[in-house]
Amino acid sequence: MTTFACNQDLILENMSDVETNLDLIQWLGDDMSFKVFSYLDNPRDLVRASAVSSSWNDFVIENGLCKQLCLKLIPEISGVVRSIEVDYLFKVDGNNPGYYYAEKRELLNRNHRVYAVLAFGLIPMNNCISQAICASSTNDHLRESYTNTLEPRDITEHGASYWSSIGQTDPSVTETLLYRLYSRMCLVTDIHVQPFQGLINGSSPIYSAKAIRFRLGWDNDPMEIDSKFGLRDKTAFSGIWTYTSPIFPMSQENKLQHFKLPEPVLCFGGFLQVELLGSVQKHEEDDLFYICISHVKVVGRVLSQNFIVRMRMFPPHGACSVQYFPHAHTRWCGCGYVSNS
Amino acid sequence: MAEEVSSQMNSLSISETNPSSSATISLVSGDDIVFKVEPTIAKEMETVQSFIDETDGKITTIPLPNISSHDLPYVIEYCEKSIAGKITKEFEAEFVKKLNNEEVKELFLAANYLNIKKLLDFLSQVIADRIANKSVEYVRRYFGIENDFTPEEEAKLREELAWTFTGVDPDDEDEN
Repeated sequence: MTTFACNQDLILENMSDVETNLDLIQWLGDDMSFKVFSYLDNPRDLVRASAVSSSWNDFVIENGLCKQLCLKLIPEISGVVRSIEVDYLFKVDGNNPGYYYAEKRELLNRNHRVYAVLAFGLIPMNNCISQAICASSTNDHLRESYTNTLEPRDITEHGASYWSSIGQTDPSVTETLLYRLYSRMCLVTDIHVQPFQGLINGSSPIYSAKAIRFRLGWDNDPMEIDSKFGLRDKTAFSGIWTYTSPIFPMSQENKLQHFKLPEPVLCFGGFLQVELLGSVQKHEEDDLFYICISHVKVVGRVLSQNFIVRMRMFPPHGACSVQYFPHAHTRWCGCGYVSNS
Repeated sequence: MAEEVSSQMNSLSISETNPSSSATISLVSGDDIVFKVEPTIAKEMETVQSFIDETDGKITTIPLPNISSHDLPYVIEYCEKSIAGKITKEFEAEFVKKLNNEEVKELFLAANYLNIKKLLDFLSQVIADRIANKSVEYVRRYFGIENDFTPEEEAKLREELAWTFTGVDPDDEDEN
């Protein structure tokens, strides 16, 4: 400051502007406005603020306030910023459908919407799996179905609860389990798997796998999945995996084993495949190798049911658009997407 | 509060003839009311303090033409509590209860002008609380902002992110 009087004049001049047309953001400058807006912790408030006037719109969008809030509310989003901003894996309805944004402002507009949806729509879920779809093989469809793996307990009032593969002479055979997640867009951070421990003739073998790997992706034809549902077992999944995890060793221990993905994954499509790579335990009675799993759990966030996710059916696969429906839906006709409400 | 102000005014007219009282700082509001405060209070107001420092403490009467005598006592009250280390959630809740929307805005502008960091932080939260869950129309009225979108632009904005425009609080003019 040079002289006090000089500063006074400046401020008085500003004050008269303020009185005729007070725009808080213009008057306070970016730093103080930023301070006020940083106290808003609901993305809906930020989006509404962006509709107040063009200067508020510029301020909220150009400063990426929705992204900042999203990262504050869901820190694990920072691991998927690349797939959101560089790979343009999804759009919010009403966006420019193009994958290239000529203007910086267009890209900022897009990010504003995308991060607002993520910050608001991604809700934490204890287990993101909604449905067990099929297994590569099942020993006994009545007592050892893959649907048992959604039950956290390994013993219920109906007896032991687990899935068992068929017996194999070759311990290197890979078995798979296929699941549908609650929404077609999920943020997955961890997958927990518990092998099953049997009780036979006084011994208690644990039928774990040697190693485990996870794939996330989508099916070409979700309708087909539903029709195949009756077929029980399926060796080849016709879907496209957009994510494949590293191979994790599995221990032969009867506990919920935690497999943390190296980075959180934004999964489009809503399908999870658990690959059980090789077996370690022979069954005493028939001398064959089995893999048995009592529980599978996906830790992460699912998209609120008020948002409908549409998959892009041409390359790049896995991209999708998100559309808002004010009333939670129970069935999205036409794409075979069934949500459990 | 009015009585307190007038008593402070009286003490000022005495102090002006009494050079020994130069230890205190006189803050003159925009409507020419004088508030005498301890130098420690002035320290909380960075704008005032830097003025004092620049004049080597020779000038202790400081005009604050854009702060009214209505707002200045609130600012002083907050600074006094702040120095005494008595800013509690309870105090802040009581403090903000006394203020209507217009007063919050004026105080924010005053705190910004005087550069009182703690008061600014607090009022930022208060203003954010008054934007939170309010309709766009309410926010425009609250901040006196002209809607400069064309009807087409506004309709497009609302359509694109329809989910943010439902379920807001009713538009009461003033919650106090």
